[in-house]
Amino acid sequence: MLIIFIVAIFVTRSIYSKVMLDIQLSNMQHLAHERIYLIDGILSKVEALAKIARSVAVDHDLSDTEKEIMLRSLLLDNPEVHSLCTAAKASDGVPPKVMYTIRHRFLQREIQGQDYLYQDWYQIPHNTGKPYWTEPWIDSQGKGEMVISYSMPLYQKGDITGFLRFDIELKYLQELTTNPDHFKLGSSFLVSSTGTLVAHRDLDLVMNQSLFSLAQEYNDPLLSSLGEAMIAGESGYIKIDGKSPFKNSWVYYQNIMSNRWSVGVSIEESVLMEDVNLILLIQTFTSILIFLLVGIAIYARALSVSRPLKKLAKAADRIGAGDFDAEIPLSDKSQEIVTLSLSFSAMQKSLKEYIQNLRITTEEKNQIRGDVIYASEIQTKLVPTNVEHPLEIKELRAYGILKPAGDIGGDLYDYFMIDDDHFCFVIADVLGKGIVAAMAMTMVSTLLLSIAPYYKSSKELLWELNKFLSRNNIESNFVTALLGVIQLSSGRLEYSNCGHLPLYIRKMDRSFVKYGQTHSTALGVFENLEIGSDIIQLNTGDEIILYTDGVTEAMNIEEEFMGLKGLEEIIQGLPMPNPENTAKSILNKVQDFARGSTHKDDITLLVIDYKHPGIT
Amino acid sequence: MRPFRLILVAGIMVLCIVLLSSCKGRSSDRGDGSSDPDISSRDGFVIRYCPKWQPQAQFAGIYMAINKGLYAQYGLDVQVQELMQASDAIDSVSEGSLDVVPLDLLAAIIANSEKTRLVNIGQISQKNTMLLVAKKSKQINSLADFEGKRIGIWRSSSNLITKAFLKEQGISMQFVTIDWSINLFLQGGVDVINAMRYNEYHQMLQAGLKKEELFIADLHELGCRIPDEGLYVKPEFYQEHPKQCKAFMQATKDGWLYAFSHPEETVDVVMDLMHAAKIRANRAHQIWMLNEMKKNVMPSAAEIGILKKEDYQRALNLLKAEMDFPRDIAFEEFYPNGAK
Repeated sequence: MLIIFIVAIFVTRSIYSKVMLDIQLSNMQHLAHERIYLIDGILSKVEALAKIARSVAVDHDLSDTEKEIMLRSLLLDNPEVHSLCTAAKASDGVPPKVMYTIRHRFLQREIQGQDYLYQDWYQIPHNTGKPYWTEPWIDSQGKGEMVISYSMPLYQKGDITGFLRFDIELKYLQELTTNPDHFKLGSSFLVSSTGTLVAHRDLDLVMNQSLFSLAQEYNDPLLSSLGEAMIAGESGYIKIDGKSPFKNSWVYYQNIMSNRWSVGVSIEESVLMEDVNLILLIQTFTSILIFLLVGIAIYARALSVSRPLKKLAKAADRIGAGDFDAEIPLSDKSQEIVTLSLSFSAMQKSLKEYIQNLRITTEEKNQIRGDVIYASEIQTKLVPTNVEHPLEIKELRAYGILKPAGDIGGDLYDYFMIDDDHFCFVIADVLGKGIVAAMAMTMVSTLLLSIAPYYKSSKELLWELNKFLSRNNIESNFVTALLGVIQLSSGRLEYSNCGHLPLYIRKMDRSFVKYGQTHSTALGVFENLEIGSDIIQLNTGDEIILYTDGVTEAMNIEEEFMGLKGLEEIIQGLPMPNPENTAKSILNKVQDFARGSTHKDDITLLVIDYKHPGIT
Repeated sequence: MRPFRLILVAGIMVLCIVLLSSCKGRSSDRGDGSSDPDISSRDGFVIRYCPKWQPQAQFAGIYMAINKGLYAQYGLDVQVQELMQASDAIDSVSEGSLDVVPLDLLAAIIANSEKTRLVNIGQISQKNTMLLVAKKSKQINSLADFEGKRIGIWRSSSNLITKAFLKEQGISMQFVTIDWSINLFLQGGVDVINAMRYNEYHQMLQAGLKKEELFIADLHELGCRIPDEGLYVKPEFYQEHPKQCKAFMQATKDGWLYAFSHPEETVDVVMDLMHAAKIRANRAHQIWMLNEMKKNVMPSAAEIGILKKEDYQRALNLLKAEMDFPRDIAFEEFYPNGAK
C-alpha cells in the first residue's frame, strides 16, 4: 500500500512537472517575445531615424544650418535617442559634433582629440563600410553615460564621407529587459553579440561577465553552449545546472533581429516546481489523511466485528463444553455477525436435539446390551460348568471352553447323562452370530436335554433335532452338530456327524485318529434328513477332541487359515493328556496363531477322556 | 561580502590619499631614513610610480607588494600616480615629477635614442607575450597567409615589436591602428590582430571564439624573444638612490612571488581594485592573466627581475635593423645592475 502510495506520488510529480515545464517554457517564450518586441522596436526605430538623418545629411540642397535644425528636431522629438553624433572623415580635419539634450535643453559639443578615431563606433563602420551596432561603451565626450550606438557610414560617390551615430542609453534597454520582472514567469537578460551580459537582474554580472567567462569561472560547458547559441542568433531552451548564477534554471533564448543581440529568460527550477510541489504537498497530506481515516474506519469496523465474534466464540466454547443452553449473543451491528449468530443458534438447537436423540438411543442401546449380557450369562450357564468329574461320572473327565467372538455366540457344547450308563455329548455350530444364533443354540441345547431320555441313539436324537429345527423355521436354522453317546460300562461310542468338523481321538501313546466321516448335511435345512452313525470302541485313556470352525478357521496375520493340518500339528505336540490341559493348550495355540489378526470367530472346544489311568 | 570589501578598499585608498598629501612636503627630503627597515610607509622614502594601464592582474606584483606592506618593509613609500600615456610618463620622469615608469624594452631603448633618459632597474617580463591572431575562417592558416591582409596593431609604441617582427619575416600587411578593443577583429574589420596572450587573446575566448577556430602566431616561440615590461628611472635618480632603487625592485619581486603563491587572494585584491576603478572585471579573466604572468615573469626562479644581456642586445639589434637606430647604448649603461 505504501509502495503504491509512493509510486503514485512520483508518477504524479513527473506528470505535473512535465505539464508545468511545458506551460512555463511557453510563458518564458512569450516573455522573451515581449521583451524582444520592445527592444527591437526601439532599435528599429533608431535605425529608421538614422536613415532619415542620413538622407538629410547627404542632401546638397540643404544648408548646414538647416541640416543641424533638422537633426536637432529629430533628437528632441525622439526621447529614445540619448544623443547623436555627426563625424566627418578624419582627413577633413573637422572635429565630430555630439548633440544631446539635458532637461529638454539642446546642447552640442565638439569632440576633442583623436581618440574617437579608435573607438568602435567610428572605426568599425569605417573599416567594414557597413552600419554597426556597438557594444556598450561610455560616451565620455557626450553625456558621459554608458550607451550603445548605431553608427552609419555616409557615402558619396562610393566613398565614405562621414558617419552618423545614434546613441541609446544602456540603462533604458536594461530597464526594458528587466522591468517589470515577473518573478513567476522568469527573469529576462540581455546578451550582446560578444556574449556579454548587458542586462541582468544581478548587477554584479552586468558588463563584467560574458556567458563564456561565466562558463570558465564555474567550469560549466553548458553556459558556453548557451553563449554560442545566443551569439549565433539561434533560439531554444536549455537547462543549466552547475554552480553559476544560472544554476538549476531553465533558459529560453531568442535573438533580436536588429543588432544580433539575444534575449534570454531564465527561471529557477525550484520556482518552476513551486506550484507542483505545493500540489504534491496537498496531495500527500490529503492522501495521508484519507489513509488514516480509512485505517481508523477499518479498525473500528474490525472491532465491531471481532467483539461479537469473541462473545460468539465464548458461547461456542461453552456449548463445546456441553452447555447447550448457553446464550448466543445477538449483535445488530453487522449483518454478517447477525447471520452467523442465527446460524449458530440453529446449530445449537440441532445439536441439542441430536444429543437428546443420542441420549435416548444410547439408553436403548445400553438396555439391549444389558439384555445381551444377560443372555450371554444365560448361555454360559447353559453349558456345563467344568469340574474334574462331570456329573460325578468316575469313568470320564471332560473340559469345555466356549469363547464367543462377541458377548454371545452361536456355538454350543453340552454333555449330560441319558441314564446311568449312557453319557451324551454334543458340539454344534449355528450358522451366524449374535443373538439369533444364540437363541438357536439355546433351543438346540434345551431340546436335546428334553428329548435325550427317549432316544439313546445319536442319530435318533439328531433326527429329532433336525425335525424341530426344520419345522420351526427360525432365521438361523442351519446348524452343524456332532453328537455322541458313550456306554460307560463298555466304552462303546456311537456318534453322528451332521456337517460338522472331524472328530479326533487321541491315544495314550500320543497318536491320534481322525474321524472325518459325516453322516448327513447340516441340520435345519431338510426335514426328512437321513442321518447315520458310527460306532467306535473307546480304549482306556482315549481322549475325544471336539471343536468348532473357530479353531480351524482361525486366521493369522498373513490371512492364512489354521486348517485341520494346523490343528493336527497342535494335537501332535500336546503333553500328556488331561482334558483341561488339552483344551487350554489348543486354545492358547490357536490364539497365538491368530494374534494380530482382526478376524474373530466363536471358538469352542470340548475334550473328554475315557477311563484314563490318571483318573482317580 | 563584496560591497563590504569595496567599502574597505575605498576607505583604505581615501586614507592613503590623505596620508600621502600630508607627507608630500617631506617627499623631496630624501634623507637617510630610508635605510631603516622598521620605518613605516608614511615615513619612508617616497617613490612615485605611474601604472602602465588600468588595474588588472598584469600588475599583480606591485599591488601585492603594496597590499602586503612589502615596500614599507624596505623603507619605501610607494605612491601610485594617475594613469598616463607612455610618452607623457617618460617626460614626467625626465622632469622629475615621476620616479618609476614601467615600459616595454623596445619603447625604453627608443626613448634613449638621442641620449640616455632612462635606466632599467629591473626587468619584470622575461618573454615576448605578443601573439598575432587570425580567424581560420578567413583562410589564414600560416604566417604566409598574412601577406597583404589587414592587421590591427596598437596605436602605442607597443606596436613596434609587431612591425619589426613582420618586417623581419618579410611579410607586408595593411596596418590598421586600433585602441584596446578587439571588436574590430570580432566584426571582421581586420583579418589579423595583435594580442597579448594574457589579455586580449583570452578576451576573444570570452567573446565566444574557440581556440581551434584561431590561427595564432606566438612571437616569442617564433624567435622574436624580446621581453616586454621593465621598470625605469632616470639615470640621475638611480645614481642618487641606488639602494632605494634596488629595494623597490626587491619588494616588487617579493610582491610577484607572493602573488604567485597566493593566487586566490591576489585575484581578490585585483578584482577589488577593478571594481573600485569601475572597470569591467571578471574573475576567470584575472585568474587566466595571473597564470600567464607567472610564465612571463618567472619562467624559472633564477630569472625573476633580471634583464638578460642577450635579450637587450637582441632588442637593440632589431631596432638598429628596422628603424635606423642612431646610436649604440652599452648594456651596462642601460641596465646599471648588469654591470655588477
